[in-house]
Amino acid sequence: MEGTAHDYQKSTVAVSKALGLELPEIPGWICCGSTSAHQSDRLLSIALPAKSLAAAEGKPVAVGCAACYSRLKAANYEIANDPEVRKTVAGVVGRDYDGKTEILHLLEILSRDIGMRKIAETVNKPLKGLRVVTYYGCLLSRPPEVTQFDDPENPTLMDQVMEAAGATVVEWPHKTECCGAGYSITDVGIVKKLTREILAMAKSAGADCIVTACPMCQMNLDLRQKDTEKASGERFDLPVFYFTQLLGLAFGISRKELGLKSLVVSPDKVLAAHGISA
Amino acid sequence: MNLAATEISGEFTSLAEIESHANLAACLQCKKCTSGCPVSAMADIKPHEMVRKVQFGQKDEVLASKMLWQCTSCQTCATRCPQKVSVAALNDGLRRMSVAAKSPTKSAAPTFNSIFMNAVRKRGRMNEAGLMASFKLRTMRLFEDMGKLPMMLLKGKMPLWQSAAPGRSEREELFKRAANAAKGGKS
Repeated sequence: MEGTAHDYQKSTVAVSKALGLELPEIPGWICCGSTSAHQSDRLLSIALPAKSLAAAEGKPVAVGCAACYSRLKAANYEIANDPEVRKTVAGVVGRDYDGKTEILHLLEILSRDIGMRKIAETVNKPLKGLRVVTYYGCLLSRPPEVTQFDDPENPTLMDQVMEAAGATVVEWPHKTECCGAGYSITDVGIVKKLTREILAMAKSAGADCIVTACPMCQMNLDLRQKDTEKASGERFDLPVFYFTQLLGLAFGISRKELGLKSLVVSPDKVLAAHGISA
Repeated sequence: MNLAATEISGEFTSLAEIESHANLAACLQCKKCTSGCPVSAMADIKPHEMVRKVQFGQKDEVLASKMLWQCTSCQTCATRCPQKVSVAALNDGLRRMSVAAKSPTKSAAPTFNSIFMNAVRKRGRMNEAGLMASFKLRTMRLFEDMGKLPMMLLKGKMPLWQSAAPGRSEREELFKRAANAAKGGKS
């Protein structure tokens, strides 16, 4: 999250600070291997996350990226449910890990540990009248046995956070549709087709903007939106925020601290129309 | 279906089940996976067909299928299957078998995966600019998306330098041990 999603990183840190939440990094953490690991090497796809999880020494692990979250949860699931896997992974990583370290997405921490009341109390510039659609994508809630995140077809954690921030959450059917994720690099055609459907649905639902909780979702919907418009002849003009950025605005945190300048589709018009200026 | 290409020994089917940990025998062919699949409309082998073709030992067709590299691993099939058959997991297993068998593919995904895993081994963390440069050189897609570069640099989304994780020699050992364990078939 220091590269393409540096704005997610910044806004996560700023919002956490406002809520008194400390997020120290796992010492020596390494990449979970992402899609490339599970597509090419099953053992490494479990061992790489296990190495970082073991380094957390039993403390709960907070995750911002939905793909990392999914890979860490999958590693936990495999290790905790299969003693053979646990043994093999221990041999590869060089230490035993029981698969029981708690893994939480930031949305789960906000809902379970911070609570909507505290969030609402911290809000001093409510996002009044801002119509948002919440977009969870695939990997937070699927498969439910593994992630145990929220309802897999109709998750509401982000909706609750946005409501606490004063926004109007618009109902739409594409909360958990797929954006094409990692094919952004190897097969852009898939991403363009899938993001077009998501953007068109958000537009027809009457949203002012889309809120995401995953760097891949945000990038595919935001960075490629102009190309998608060109290809389909439609006009979407939908800013795509991280939920931490909108929450940060409601907390009165500055645009700079929230990395709003890094959004490709400018949010200026939408925010100004609703008198939101931090 | 090309019956001549059917492998009747059942060896391919068993290998695919072992590699993917997907319980194919439970499949009812209800097509719920295909109905919810975001890429089934463009797929040469749709999710429910993939299960059936593997059961029938259609090895060459399955391993060369475009679908293996179009499936986004979104897990909708696995989530909705009434019998808990994960086509997403099956596809992952088939991808690994396809690469091991050097099956023909036009997809750049296997190349990307190998570059990505190499970067994890060497650096532990991603340097997105370096990753993209290696991928473009290896696939000769030098100009695709290059129009995005100035904007990404401007937006701070493509830092040219990002720190690596410590412990490179430890990671090299981890990758070696994983390769040895996989050879022993113990994963």
